[in-house]
Amino acid sequence: MLAIDARDVVKTFHSGLLGRRRTAALRGVSLAVPRGAIFGVLGPNGAGKTTLLSIFATLLTPDGGTVTILGHDVVREAGLLRRRINLASGNASFLWNLRVAEILAFYGRLYGLHGATLRRRVEQLLEVGELGPHRRVPYNELSTGLKQRLSLAKSLVNDPELLFLDEPTLGLDPDISVRMRSHIASLRRERGMTIVLTTHYMREAEELCDEIAFIKAGLILARGTSGDLKRQIRIGDVIALRLDPPHVPWLSQAPGVLRCAVADGRVHCTVDEADKRLPELLRALHSEGVMVRDVQVREPDLEQVFVELAR
Amino acid sequence: MAVWAFALRNLQMASRNVFLLFELLFWPVVNVMSIGLLTRFLGLSGPEISFVLTGTIAFNTLQVCQLDVAYALLYDAWSKSMKHQFVAPIGVRHLTVGAWIVGMVRGVFVFLLQALLARWAFGFDPLGAGPLPLAAFLAGCFLTAWVIGVLVCALVMLVGLRAETAAWASINLVLLLAGIYYPISVLPGPVAGVAAAIPLTYFLDAYRAHYGFVPEFRAPLAVGFLLAAGYILVSHWALVAAVRRARRSGLLLKLSE
Ligand SMILES: Nc1ncnc2c1ncn2[C@@H]1O[C@H](COP(=O)(O)OP(=O)(O)O)[C@@H](O)[C@H]1O
Ligand SMILES: [Mg+2]
Repeated sequence: MLAIDARDVVKTFHSGLLGRRRTAALRGVSLAVPRGAIFGVLGPNGAGKTTLLSIFATLLTPDGGTVTILGHDVVREAGLLRRRINLASGNASFLWNLRVAEILAFYGRLYGLHGATLRRRVEQLLEVGELGPHRRVPYNELSTGLKQRLSLAKSLVNDPELLFLDEPTLGLDPDISVRMRSHIASLRRERGMTIVLTTHYMREAEELCDEIAFIKAGLILARGTSGDLKRQIRIGDVIALRLDPPHVPWLSQAPGVLRCAVADGRVHCTVDEADKRLPELLRALHSEGVMVRDVQVREPDLEQVFVELAR
Repeated sequence: MAVWAFALRNLQMASRNVFLLFELLFWPVVNVMSIGLLTRFLGLSGPEISFVLTGTIAFNTLQVCQLDVAYALLYDAWSKSMKHQFVAPIGVRHLTVGAWIVGMVRGVFVFLLQALLARWAFGFDPLGAGPLPLAAFLAGCFLTAWVIGVLVCALVMLVGLRAETAAWASINLVLLLAGIYYPISVLPGPVAGVAAAIPLTYFLDAYRAHYGFVPEFRAPLAVGFLLAAGYILVSHWALVAAVRRARRSGLLLKLSE
């Protein structure tokens, strides 16, 4: 059963004087997301991630293509669909003067909650978002981390079956990002929610998502599990070694090594999984009598991924 | 529930805003006093004073109510939170009606304040026309306020926040034509035509009849309510269409970032 079935979605924005400047934000995107999945849309800034998510969330009407979400057409049955979905974004913002609990209650009422049910839901969300101590704080006095937690709490107010998260860890400190990610993972675990999130952090997509779609310039360039993608585009972690002697020809044939290149005195080996391959390589080098002067492990960054994808 | 959500939100925002004092107390008082003193300086007669002050009071009452309706959308535009309410299963009617209810409460407050002031300082009693004419007059102010507020919302949804000032200005201009300070018969032909198309004109006319002025129109209340109903439909439709367009053009998202 599909949560999202999108076919050939096209969206062009018109801006500037008389709308003469055109931006093709989506140029034919097809996507299928099964129920219960955490699906990642990964891509650099301006790739079209927010545009795609906004179309799914009925905030933007597509120019072409069809989108069916939870069995509803996003354009014709938007009203029905809105009850069953919700959205949070990393750069969300709410009314500056309202307090945390008031904001949650306001959005609760928009979904028809009232009386004791509403009060209980607000309490529950304050607890889930660890916002209890801040319930009376006006929005404009919250820290970025708290704002993000409030935004996520707000998106759970109607207990949605399908949740859209647009860059949920944007601008957060690393330790807070980690908590946010575990929170997102628990939503699926505990409530069976389907989650579609966008991010431009490779690691985030890898850690959270069952499946990832790479999007760039309005096109999906690749999709699959993170393992699939790494195999498909042969991108992996990079182990940089300073060796003595510096040239070890068999290295590129070693198990798990995708390719090797020499640059500024080091051998850069791209491997499928650094955690597994590093001890193996070190053992092999040692037994061949090669001295290892220095080791660095680097995760591939998104830029590299796209360089690979563009080929 | 959604209607109540928007009403409550306007109340909460208003209760924390220092400008509230200006909207509710300062401007109404200043306007009634300055116009009232002007009538005294010009040596106007009692009926003339009530004619002019009726206009001032109607204008201020309408203005306060109209602000609330426009705020329903402007708060979200200013705070860039627009998308969160439009991802929810609500219609714009929830938004505008909820805000309008608060606008009427504030409007009644402003009206009473001005009425008492006018009676005390200038001997004109706006409450003296009796409950039914008074109710019709206030209804006229509030219905016109709803239309204006919704049109401001529609303009903002159509062109974004840069329309804000222009929207206020042009709509206030139209309002001033509604015979607030003069019978519309003094206006030159085409302008009088515009004034005759504004519902408030008829409500003012009907109300002033209770203070001894000969009505300019036949059955002004019936025409006023009919016109208002027409404008309400048109402005509501305009806002619905503007929101639909904003979803297509991406402005709904622009107002959220
Ligand atoms: N509301 C809008 N109006 C005009 N252009 C837009 C709008 N939203 C996005 N764009 C343009 O569409 C492209 C894709 O944007 P977006 O979907 O926000 O990318 P991402 O979320 O991946 O960073 C960008 O070139 C952006 O400038
Ligand atoms: Mg984005």
